[in-house]
Amino acid sequence: MTEPATWTVELRVPDEADLDAAGESRTLEVREDQSILAAARSAGIWLSADCQQGWCITCAAKLLEGEVDHSNAKRYYPSDDEAGFVLTCVGQPRSDLVLEVEQYDELLRHRAEHDKPPGRSKLG
Amino acid sequence: MSDDKPHAAGNIDAGDTSERVGMAVLRERGLDPEELREKLLDAIGAEFTTYYYYTNLRMHLAGHEDYKEITEDARLEDRAHFELVAPRVYELGGSLPNDIRDFADRASCPDAEMPVPYETEGFELDELTAESILEVLLEAERCAIRTWSEICDMTQGVDPRTYDMAQRILQEEVEHEAWFVELLSMERDGEINPAGHFVRGEPGDAPLSTNRRFNDSA
Repeated sequence: MTEPATWTVELRVPDEADLDAAGESRTLEVREDQSILAAARSAGIWLSADCQQGWCITCAAKLLEGEVDHSNAKRYYPSDDEAGFVLTCVGQPRSDLVLEVEQYDELLRHRAEHDKPPGRSKLG
Repeated sequence: MSDDKPHAAGNIDAGDTSERVGMAVLRERGLDPEELREKLLDAIGAEFTTYYYYTNLRMHLAGHEDYKEITEDARLEDRAHFELVAPRVYELGGSLPNDIRDFADRASCPDAEMPVPYETEGFELDELTAESILEVLLEAERCAIRTWSEICDMTQGVDPRTYDMAQRILQEEVEHEAWFVELLSMERDGEINPAGHFVRGEPGDAPLSTNRRFNDSA
């Protein structure tokens, strides 16, 4: 049996994030069959998340480099993909990645601008 | 105000009804009451939609009367969770959305929809199995556990009122997960995986979270 591929994922944590790693960058190895969130939490980086089913967008991140698979997401729109948003709770790497994490507010605004939930109901 | 009782004063003028001490004390302790309120609205949106979707799932468990009874308990208890926390949203200066579609849109958990396509003639019932319904129920409960755990984390040691509600709900959601783990284990895998479940006193008893039982004023 072939071992799943492993990719290097760099997480850039914004200065204003409510995390111990605020303002820092952390790098970890993530298997292709593993979510970015699960790998990060296993590595002691407690990224924000709620439903963990690719629905609520609490775990949103911005893709700076690489490719992410969202086929397990319950609610992920083409416009999210085009704008480079990632749902780390279900997103699995398909290449080495660089992500800016803790982007819930940004994705919420993006969803509202595109008349998509939950942005349209929370900010509309 | 007496110098001996500084807690009797504070920054809100006597008789000022535009502010709430119940929110100010949270802010003083580092919890943003507006952020909490929004999180609670998302969470009870999920309880409310789950109550609706479980009604539909339960209707389609014909021939599995035991599954129907347990789904009924979970269904009614999710409604109890909505009713338990809705007053807290108002205490925190918020309100329920006017449009139920907004409420469903912002729910923090996915819709627990029937696991078969819906066509003009109705659901594709030939494809429907009890196993697939139990999988939907199980994943819905797991989402609820994550949501209420997040709210417990936010409020522990800071907001005892919300924490008390959230931990009551969390306990029941953990029980619901155990029920559906047991049922799905046998239905899908033929495995005995006990929930440790004793029957509720009455359908949807919500032993820990029924609002009026410990909160007559709500």
